Amino acid sequence: MAIEGAEIVKAAAFIGAGLSMGLGAIGPGVGEGMVAAKACEAIGKNPREAGLLTRTMLVGQAVAESTGIYSLVVALLLLFVV
Amino acid sequence: MGFEVETVIKIAAYTGGGIAMGLGAVGAAIGEGYTAARANLAISRNPEISGDIFKSMLVGQAVAESASIFALVIAILLLFMDAATPSLLKAAAFLGAGLSMGFGAIGSGIGSGYPGGEACFGISQQPAADSQLTTNMLIGSAVCQTPAIFSMVVALMLIFIDFGNAPLTPTWAAFIGAGLSMGLAAIGSGYGGGLAAGASCEGIARSPQSVTNVTTIMLVGQAVSQTPSIFGLLISFILMFKSFPESSMLATPMALLGAGLCMGFGGIGPGIGNGMAAEGAVRWVARNVEHSNELMRIMLVGQAVSQSTAIYAMVVSLVLIFVV
Amino acid sequence: MGELGKLHQLIIPVFGHNITINLEVVVMTWIVIALLIILGLFASYKRKILPRPIQALGELIVSMLYGLTEDAMGKELAKTYAPLICALFMFLLVSNWLGMIPHLEEPTKDLNTTLGLGIMGFFIAHYAGIRSKGFKAYIKEYFQPIFFMMPLNLIGEVAKIVSISFRLFGNIMGGSIIILVVSYLTYSLVLPPFLYGFFALFVGTIQAFVFTMLTVVYISVQVK
Repeated sequence: MAIEGAEIVKAAAFIGAGLSMGLGAIGPGVGEGMVAAKACEAIGKNPREAGLLTRTMLVGQAVAESTGIYSLVVALLLLFVV
Repeated sequence: MGFEVETVIKIAAYTGGGIAMGLGAVGAAIGEGYTAARANLAISRNPEISGDIFKSMLVGQAVAESASIFALVIAILLLFMDAATPSLLKAAAFLGAGLSMGFGAIGSGIGSGYPGGEACFGISQQPAADSQLTTNMLIGSAVCQTPAIFSMVVALMLIFIDFGNAPLTPTWAAFIGAGLSMGLAAIGSGYGGGLAAGASCEGIARSPQSVTNVTTIMLVGQAVSQTPSIFGLLISFILMFKSFPESSMLATPMALLGAGLCMGFGGIGPGIGNGMAAEGAVRWVARNVEHSNELMRIMLVGQAVSQSTAIYAMVVSLVLIFVV
Repeated sequence: MGELGKLHQLIIPVFGHNITINLEVVVMTWIVIALLIILGLFASYKRKILPRPIQALGELIVSMLYGLTEDAMGKELAKTYAPLICALFMFLLVSNWLGMIPHLEEPTKDLNTTLGLGIMGFFIAHYAGIRSKGFKAYIKEYFQPIFFMMPLNLIGEVAKIVSISFRLFGNIMGGSIIILVVSYLTYSLVLPPFLYGFFALFVGTIQAFVFTMLTVVYISVQVK
């Protein structure tokens, strides 16, 4: 069967989308876990500040999440736009 | 190219068997080495109870070995199985089975060594808590093998289920994708579960009276850490059992392969991250039992946020499977 | 090496479906049950304050398992569930050890046995949960932390059955495969007894204990 150029581009885009989201999810996942672990440690040391610490944790995680969202955006672009 | 179908199947089965056992041995070896290292450290600290520590090390290693024993079962099956209905599809299924089991055993192997090591070290510090530590170690180490067991289930299904005459072209990619999705996603969850179990043994050695709270939060944390590997299991079931229409395009199989890779890699990070969050919570519950409810709550919140990336990965792979 | 895939099966056709019974497994399970009943009869026959050796053995096993159940569940629940846990452990222990005797095989090498025990544990745990919390609170647990986590919670519960039964099956099956392969390679010289010592006695005991403890933990998690 003859494989055309556009066909190869499409196939590469699909694999690329998978790899982009897949590999892109590793970093934020580990990072947010570290944040949560440290937040637990902090609350264990100082339970009275639990509310403040939870807020700080969520803000930190939201920032760490941004790279994950970038890879989601790139993956969706590869799927539907390219 | 004059290969017969039987030859191709044999090639795939042997390659799959090699991958399953070769990769499957990595994790358990590292984990058991960690257990032995901590046991040596423990004996140097407290040589009088070296007998107890040695016993506990052996028990911990025997449980940590399970992951590589599962890999051995799959590898032997792949080496000696004859396909009932030889088709090229079965070759892809055998390769997928090998990939699933090989990658899937890495994380659980490494992870299940941690509780053993920490329990040995804990016994040297707190010899009175010997029995609680051993029980907790066995439970923690056994539960963190669950992802490897999922991989074994997927591998057994790929080996034994007769998929009949599904069209070859997109389906081969679906089988390899199913193997990759489950195998890779199991790495993070297995390792993460091990972190939580190790911290729980350390915590029980520190304060043996908090054993109930520590074990409970360890089990909850491990259960949540296993969610990415359950996502991987879901995606690989969909890839195995959804029937795909025949297509001669290159893009369709690549989309299915991409779906498997996406969910597989996407599950690694959140699995490890959730395990770290559980580790932190478990460690501090042991030091601060009164506030275990707050710690449990913040652990669950943190894990839920860290899991969102796994959910993105699942969404992308579902899009790749169903929409494209 | 041809023994790997060989099974003696009894196939009964019922209404167009075939009911398949693995004869070996059933017979081996009966042997295990018979051994346990004989042990139980001897251990409890003419009980005395000063126990005979076999009575002492029985008391040792029962009191150890009773203590373990009590640690995990508390005094009240242990009264209900300790007999079950004790029976489960003894059954698994003898099953895993049975392969050491020539011509006998472990019933736990068959997935049907372990899956059956896993499903039994699952139903007992959930029945205990419903009975202690009430039906409403039990259902409510599935909608924690947010309501759309319900399917995941359900899968998580079913995954427990899969993991507990495949763990035992994989370990026992793996051990027997290793023994078969090594015996085949060394023409059954010297090594097999030591391998049986490791895989049947050591790993078998540990896996029986792990299965039992996980059942205890699942019940106590449901009850709390």
